[in-house]
Amino acid sequence: MKENIVIIGGGIAGLEVAVQLLDLGYKPIVIEKRDRLGGHVADWNLLFPDMIPARDVVGNLIARASEANIFLNTEISFVNKLKDSYNIMLSNGISINTRIIVMTTGFALFDAAKKEEYGYGVYDQVMTNKDLEHWFNTGDDKRVNDSAMNAVGFVHCVGSRDEKARNPQCSKVCCITAIKQAIELKQRFPEAMVYCFYMDLRMFGKKYEDFYINAQRDYGIRFIRGRVSEVSENIDGRVIVKAEDTLSGKPVKVTLDLLVLMAGIICNTDSTRLANMVSLPIDSDGFLKSRDNVAEIIESPRDGIFYAGACTGPKTVPETLAEARAAALKVHLFIKGLK
Amino acid sequence: MRERFLTGYNDFVLPFVVGMLFVLTYCLVGLIRIIAQLPASDRKRFFLSLVTPKTMVKNVKDIFLKCLIHVDLWKRNKLLGYMHSSIAFGWFMLIVVGHIEVFLYTSHLGAKALYYPIFFRYFVAETESTMKGALIFFLMDFFLLVVLSGIVLAIIKRVRSRFFGMRRTTNPSFLDLIGLYSLWSIFPLRLLAESFTADISGGSFLTKSLNYVFTEFLSNHANMLPAWWAYSCALGIFFCVLPFTRYMHIPAEILLIPLRNAGIRIVNARKGFARAQVYSCPSCGLCIDACPMGVMKGNIRDTTVYLNRQIRRKNEPRIEEISDKCLLCGKCTAVCPVGVEGDKLRIAQRSTRRYNFGPDYSNIDTKLQSERCNKFVKKINNNVSRTDNERVLYFAGCMTALTPVIRKTTESVLTKAGVDYEMMDRDGGICCGRPMFMAGRFAQADELVAKNTEIIMNSGADVLLLSCPICYKIFRERYTLPGIEIIHHTEYFERLISDGRLKMRKSSTKYVFHDPCELGRGCGVYEQPRNVIAAAGEVVEAARNRKESICCGGSLGSLTLGFDKRRAMTENALSNLVAASPDRIVTACPLCLDTFARYSDRPVEDIAQVVDRASGYGKIS
Repeated sequence: MKENIVIIGGGIAGLEVAVQLLDLGYKPIVIEKRDRLGGHVADWNLLFPDMIPARDVVGNLIARASEANIFLNTEISFVNKLKDSYNIMLSNGISINTRIIVMTTGFALFDAAKKEEYGYGVYDQVMTNKDLEHWFNTGDDKRVNDSAMNAVGFVHCVGSRDEKARNPQCSKVCCITAIKQAIELKQRFPEAMVYCFYMDLRMFGKKYEDFYINAQRDYGIRFIRGRVSEVSENIDGRVIVKAEDTLSGKPVKVTLDLLVLMAGIICNTDSTRLANMVSLPIDSDGFLKSRDNVAEIIESPRDGIFYAGACTGPKTVPETLAEARAAALKVHLFIKGLK
Repeated sequence: MRERFLTGYNDFVLPFVVGMLFVLTYCLVGLIRIIAQLPASDRKRFFLSLVTPKTMVKNVKDIFLKCLIHVDLWKRNKLLGYMHSSIAFGWFMLIVVGHIEVFLYTSHLGAKALYYPIFFRYFVAETESTMKGALIFFLMDFFLLVVLSGIVLAIIKRVRSRFFGMRRTTNPSFLDLIGLYSLWSIFPLRLLAESFTADISGGSFLTKSLNYVFTEFLSNHANMLPAWWAYSCALGIFFCVLPFTRYMHIPAEILLIPLRNAGIRIVNARKGFARAQVYSCPSCGLCIDACPMGVMKGNIRDTTVYLNRQIRRKNEPRIEEISDKCLLCGKCTAVCPVGVEGDKLRIAQRSTRRYNFGPDYSNIDTKLQSERCNKFVKKINNNVSRTDNERVLYFAGCMTALTPVIRKTTESVLTKAGVDYEMMDRDGGICCGRPMFMAGRFAQADELVAKNTEIIMNSGADVLLLSCPICYKIFRERYTLPGIEIIHHTEYFERLISDGRLKMRKSSTKYVFHDPCELGRGCGVYEQPRNVIAAAGEVVEAARNRKESICCGGSLGSLTLGFDKRRAMTENALSNLVAASPDRIVTACPLCLDTFARYSDRPVEDIAQVVDRASGYGKIS
């Protein structure tokens, strides 16, 4: 089939859309700005709740999508709106005419250095959830000292549900990610004390609550309800965390060897830039705006432009994949309807 | 000169006389009340200042320059300055020359002294010998012309305030409008009235010429009396409404200036000095453009000019709302041509609120803190020889605890310069008291002040170093620390650099310095941070800076503004800062740093970071 379909973003959403469209007999074009496919999930180690390797999920998708036209290291230079189609100019000089664009531009992680009170970038022993996954994958991070890991803390909601950080909404997946990472650390350092500082825990997904109970019962992870007020560094480089335990009503102070910040999900600035090029509206939460937030979440207000995945808001991996399949079906019906 | 009427009286003087007597009585009663409301010590100080030659001279000079010439407005905008001084000074000179005329040409006035200087031309006719009065005739016409030119500008300003450098101006109240229109009509009516009598009583280039040109109308003496009536009525109306309009600022400022020069401060939120300030507000609206809350045309009715108006109307709910909302950045105070202290008025207002319960700080134990930061004391006891360098106690404060990079880099700079220092609040400290002070809770603030004073005095230090201007301001104003120098890190870094204790490498980076409200307007520190940054790179200036710097929007001052409202203010302040496209924005306040970093498109740093990056180990022993 000759119809050009442009998928912007080669994360799991973009790959799944491509896989489904290939199965339907189309030959989609995937545009990825980085030098590899898989997006954020490819940076992750294990996925909750069953601890399957992210590598397998991404690898499988990449293998199945290999028939598509994939452009790596490629950005969108500009988009011209034609009468009933779009002319997309890529940074590698190729221009594509298409009637159909699938936005799978994903999310960005909140820059934890902006919450300076938590000391990311200021103190040596502070890292983010992403840094920790990187260490799980590579074992290469000088912040994690194998011989001295006696106490580790996780700070939930860093730059999410935080009006001061310009991001008032919930990032959805960090509660469960923190618990997953806490368990993984505890598995590697069974003697270490692991603390989670949370506002409240949103265990909405399949088997999440079991996971949380596991963390408390089987791994002895300490959950402290209260926001961290301030982080400082002592003379040997360990971090001192002060918080209020709002359940006991008392201030707590712990000295930690490692502090992990659960950086929240915010809209990718590249998504916003692209949205401006094709005049797509932005919703009040900063993500791309769907035609309808209940029934038509994957449809943009413009004909021929579809969404899938975290470009419309924080999502889990299964939710993203489901949306990608739905978007592929929508594309198929769109082409059929026009024929 | 000869008197035209034996009685020297006509009924038309009545509106003027009534108005004049009313306004004089009102002002006299008001004056006595305000002075009576002052605390006894302030009253004594005020009376003493009135007879001290130095303040006497200053009072006269200030009243002349501020009330008549309006020098502050001249500095702001020439046209605005001319408009105000032409009306004020011109009118003043008309009154003065009028009295000189009366003094020269008439005698045995009695009650006539009340109105003769005003209606001189009606009652006194020209004779052959009046050539001597030619100069006076000329002066009277000249100053009338000056005032009229001011009135014309005032009318233009009503329609187009932009010509006068003002984007927005005050919305006048009903009585203000009556005062305004009667004031505008006084001088054209005077011109008309004097033109009628110009062929009888003499005149100069203005009145006489008018009389010749419109001979048909103006020489008909039947028309004369209505014009003089209208002139007197305009004056009468103006004086009668004056106490209830913004024009009350004319007499009030004459009292405010000596009060201020006597060094009196606001004690009571509504009485005494505060009252004098409220009545001195001319409703010019310069504070509207100055207010950082005014972005996107918001909160205009919460500026100082409206606070003053609501205080005069005793509209309690609005007074409370306006007082609580303010960021206390002090910019309205900085631009106010009469010196109304909008921030202090609001703090005083907040202090009148009664709380059912308040925090109790008496159980805070200072012993542990004192032990932690008394390294200098041990040295003294052990007879360790005193180092040449001063002993510095660094109080980072709670805002700096939330921006750890400032503390870290400041400590790094101190180490590089070989400063003998100790942290006062390494492991938690006691609040400086400024937030409580800003909330008007002076008793609580003083409790904190007392606790900190105890720790500092026991520490054996001789310099107290602060990196937060919010702390710095209250330490300077409310703490008594004999023998201890209180210094902000911007000032201290400048000293380290100029003493050669800190070696700086200059780069080509372009920095813009944001003057934090509490450091600039609050403590008058403008040059030192710029000198420090100039040693590290190139300093460019913001569109509005120093005294007119725009609050970052994060201020602790406001008790009611939410983040959603503050965002526009921060973005506005940022766009002001990047006018000269700097590479980096530098500030010297942890709160400004935190606020700007949230919305800025380029790096925002504390001055300590800049110094730390640019300095090397270069201690001179």
